[in-house]
Amino acid sequence: MDNIHRLYETTFIVNASLDDPQVDAVITRMQDTITKNGGTVKALNKWGRKRLAYTINKKTNGFYVNIEFTAPAGAPNALERFYQLDEMILRHLTIIVDKRALKARAAVAAAVQPAEAVPAQALPAQAVPAAREPLFTETAEEKKKE
Amino acid sequence: MRPPARSSSAPQRNGFRKPRRERDDKTPRKKRTCRFCDAKEIYIDYKDEKRLQRFVTEQGKIIPKRITGTCAKHQRQLVQAIKRARQLAMLPFVSDSIR
Repeated sequence: MDNIHRLYETTFIVNASLDDPQVDAVITRMQDTITKNGGTVKALNKWGRKRLAYTINKKTNGFYVNIEFTAPAGAPNALERFYQLDEMILRHLTIIVDKRALKARAAVAAAVQPAEAVPAQALPAQAVPAAREPLFTETAEEKKKE
Repeated sequence: MRPPARSSSAPQRNGFRKPRRERDDKTPRKKRTCRFCDAKEIYIDYKDEKRLQRFVTEQGKIIPKRITGTCAKHQRQLVQAIKRARQLAMLPFVSDSIR
């Protein structure tokens, strides 16, 4: 069971009073922690500075970053520790991208590129013999192949 | 000590309930449908804060499905999405006007 890589999604808020290079430094540190723990970063989205709905540590603004990554099961725990040690990160949330989300994304992808979507749907049936597997990251791997 | 009794004759509910009205059987009840089912949504994303905002009161409370007409399945997803969005300060736990 060690080598099962799931698709995770983590969003965190960096202290917005930092300069852009400093924010980038925090982000690269995050990505390093992911790769160090055996994960691979699939996507990095910087949402930028946004107003917080409520103050966190007396701050009203934050820099939002969203990272998608695949990793073995221990990685999110390591990430959690990292988040707690880093004082520049105000909030964080790490979730497993569940199968509904994957399905929704596949549907969007199919609408955009109907030609490419057909093999993507055909693959999982052959690639995944076990019933428990679909939760894991076939779609992410397919994206890589494409 | 007991709190003082409310002066208004109608007891206030939790703020969501509409006043009961006598319904005559002739007018057909307007059927509410789940917006997510109508739109064939599979997944409700916590990142979509504008959409989530419509299912939250001004105070920041989650609106019950009996008001919005959302089906049980989607309401469960919606609640999870709202709670996640709250954690990331995208939606308020309690809005500023109340605090």
